[in-house]
Amino acid sequence: MLQAVVLGGMEFSPLVVYIPIAFMLSALTRVILHRLDWHDKIWKVAWFEISIFICYLALTVYLLNGR
Amino acid sequence: MTKYLRIIFTIVIVITAIFAGRWVWNDYMHTPWTRDGRIRADIITVAADVSGWVTTLNVKDGQTVKKGELLFSVDNERYKAALEESKANTGSALSSWELAKHKYNRRLALNKQSAISEEDLELTRINKDISKANYDLAKTEQAIAQLNLDRTDVVAPVAGQVINLNLRQGNYIGQGASVFAIVRSDSFYVTGYFEETKIPLIYPNQEAKISLLSGGKQLTGHVTNVGKAIANTNTESNSQLLPQVQQTFNWVRLSQRIPVDIKLEPFSEDVQLSAGMTATIHLAEQSGE
Repeated sequence: MLQAVVLGGMEFSPLVVYIPIAFMLSALTRVILHRLDWHDKIWKVAWFEISIFICYLALTVYLLNGR
Repeated sequence: MTKYLRIIFTIVIVITAIFAGRWVWNDYMHTPWTRDGRIRADIITVAADVSGWVTTLNVKDGQTVKKGELLFSVDNERYKAALEESKANTGSALSSWELAKHKYNRRLALNKQSAISEEDLELTRINKDISKANYDLAKTEQAIAQLNLDRTDVVAPVAGQVINLNLRQGNYIGQGASVFAIVRSDSFYVTGYFEETKIPLIYPNQEAKISLLSGGKQLTGHVTNVGKAIANTNTESNSQLLPQVQQTFNWVRLSQRIPVDIKLEPFSEDVQLSAGMTATIHLAEQSGE
């Protein structure tokens, strides 16, 4: 459970950790889809990628339970 | 068919993202939590009730004191002399009263024999009453002188830790001037400054979890009260008592921060708390919603 990120006496929201995690998961998904050549099977890839990023972010916030 | 499947799949993901995004937004914006929490404690400022030089200083900065423990003494020579003077005045007033009583009793007997006038008797009775009042006054002045002498020894009003002690032996201190503070033992509590939009979600006795910026184990507590007033920084009065109202944009307004006090549950002794520390506070969400 991550409540805050303290760096050099400054407190940051855990979002500074969650957003990179969600971004990396999105990137990983993108790579996997490319490898499997499934990109063609998605309608509006940009919409999909933004949506999957938001889903990953929500999942990270929910699982790590911190604001 | 495949075309429709890919459209449906994307739309499902987009709709899921909308719900997930809304959940994250609500979790951040509409749940009672704040990162603007402060550890606070009861601070008692210590001042001498009499003026004078500090003759003895019994405490050091940071020292833990018990209630009633002698903190410092003020030079008491003047107050001793004042007490002696008051005692002498009391003795004198007592003698005057006794004399007046004696005169009155004697004149009472003479009056029965019609040897003196009624007016003469009344005069002695009033003199006796004046002497009694003077005696009472002298006694009160003696009690005040005794109190002043007693208060040259300044004792700890509460048990706690001495803070910000800049007083030194030999300093002259004025009556009522604060010279240092005591942080009362076991009086730590937390004040969280919550956005006014979150205040409807907060109620007395609500459970709270407190995380310190310094880390360590979470503390627990419960809400004791929600502040009922904060200062209005938007309006001041000028020298003619006219309101000086700051111009604001109607488009963007910042929500005010309302202080909410939280009483801490007993915590382990290895947790180091100092008043003023930063804390993040999460309140339990209202049940049944």
